[in-house]
Amino acid sequence: MSVKTEPSSDPFEAWRSMRDATMKAWADTMVQAVNTEAYAQATGTLLDSYLTATAPYREIVEKMMTQVLQLSNMPTRNDVIGLAERLTNLELRLDDLDAKLDGIIEQIRRENTDSRASRRAAEEGR
Amino acid sequence: MAAVESAFSTEQFRRMEETLRTLLRLHTTRAPIGQTPKDLIWTLNKAKLYRYTPVVSEESRHKVPLLLIFALMNRPTILDLRPGHSFVEYMVGKGYDVYLLDWGSPGIEDRNLKLDDYTLDYMPRAIRKMKAVAGCEEFSMLGWCIGAILTTIYAALRPDDGLRNLLLLTAPLDYSDKQSISFARWVDERYFDVDKVLQAFGNMPPELIEYGAKALKPVENYIGNYLRLWDNLENPAVVESWHAMNTWVNDNIPMAGATFRQLIVDLYRGNKLINNEMIIGGRRVDLSRIRANLLNVVALADHITPPCQSESIMMKVGSTDKELFRIPGGHIGIMAGSSAAKRTWPHIEAWLAARSD
Repeated sequence: MSVKTEPSSDPFEAWRSMRDATMKAWADTMVQAVNTEAYAQATGTLLDSYLTATAPYREIVEKMMTQVLQLSNMPTRNDVIGLAERLTNLELRLDDLDAKLDGIIEQIRRENTDSRASRRAAEEGR
Repeated sequence: MAAVESAFSTEQFRRMEETLRTLLRLHTTRAPIGQTPKDLIWTLNKAKLYRYTPVVSEESRHKVPLLLIFALMNRPTILDLRPGHSFVEYMVGKGYDVYLLDWGSPGIEDRNLKLDDYTLDYMPRAIRKMKAVAGCEEFSMLGWCIGAILTTIYAALRPDDGLRNLLLLTAPLDYSDKQSISFARWVDERYFDVDKVLQAFGNMPPELIEYGAKALKPVENYIGNYLRLWDNLENPAVVESWHAMNTWVNDNIPMAGATFRQLIVDLYRGNKLINNEMIIGGRRVDLSRIRANLLNVVALADHITPPCQSESIMMKVGSTDKELFRIPGGHIGIMAGSSAAKRTWPHIEAWLAARSD
């Protein structure tokens, strides 16, 4: 049995279908484009140019900031990084201690259980 | 005149106002994601280990806990997107003791963190803590995307650590088919100077990572995504889903510089992991040492990690119980899309249920 479909009452339906078809074609073309060697080369060149062009500026800002902070008796970025790295090392040591402590607690618990069991066995034997 | 009046009726203006309000809300607020209740049980540097509050009684729960490990450059909230549509919520509801290792956002002080640190310093410690809290020596581990690289390395380097089940989702492990991997072409050493980038930024900036991910399908990501929203503005379910996903997609984090360098040099260019040539912590990562039961989930329409990157590990591992599960969908869609709850999650749960008691 065939089902008759009513024509859509939405005046934008035709426009939407056309838009979606165009988008699909465009999307497919772009996916192909970004997968080419030429695209990889172009984005690589763009990024490289940006990094090369901004390198001197970054260097100047870094030097100036370091001098300003040192003159103001303030910690520099490298000082803060060093401190953060030391904190992480401390955390690692603390975690090691935590692991050892867990091991000791577990061993004590096991020994207590064993000694209770052997006491009970001895009492039953008497 | 009557036609003009009907076109600009009060109702039309009301709908237009509502549409504008919705658009404004979507672009100025963050959707509440990652809502499943959890407790923080361990931290190290920026990494945090969470335990999701169980909703099933201890007697009915599966004995073997499940640890989730996501990628390094996105937030793991994609695993717990929103109530009613969350993989974490689903697994907790099915009686699993679920843990999540959130790597956090690396700062400039973490620029030297390598895959070695994540797999040999962070993961073993987090796993020790998880085992202590769960009271179980065995565990299951699910790694997604770069999280799957980490879990694979871990499973190969520490096969006697109690890992019973290894689940890999869209795992980028094999880089031999360079023609099928767009990223491989972009980061080719002729075009991309990884050291220059890291010298400038320290870590790999999230903006560059986001650009890379979106540029794979530029029209869909930069235009189609918003057109889909526009077409569905009067459908609250679609709008809320879009908002949650958009919040997650635009919340990228940097990747530690040294890890990014390993990813590019050792994996994308050198393809060392699948060839058993990767050196981590001075030791060679030999995939044949992986003995855990393996479920490898591959997304057939994945443009970020094409199936060719994930499938070949099946021949390399030493596991006897292994399954390759191919599923239609994209890199994120298979776990967070509308059909995830009908197809991917039940399969993962059923596979895990048979191996978790």
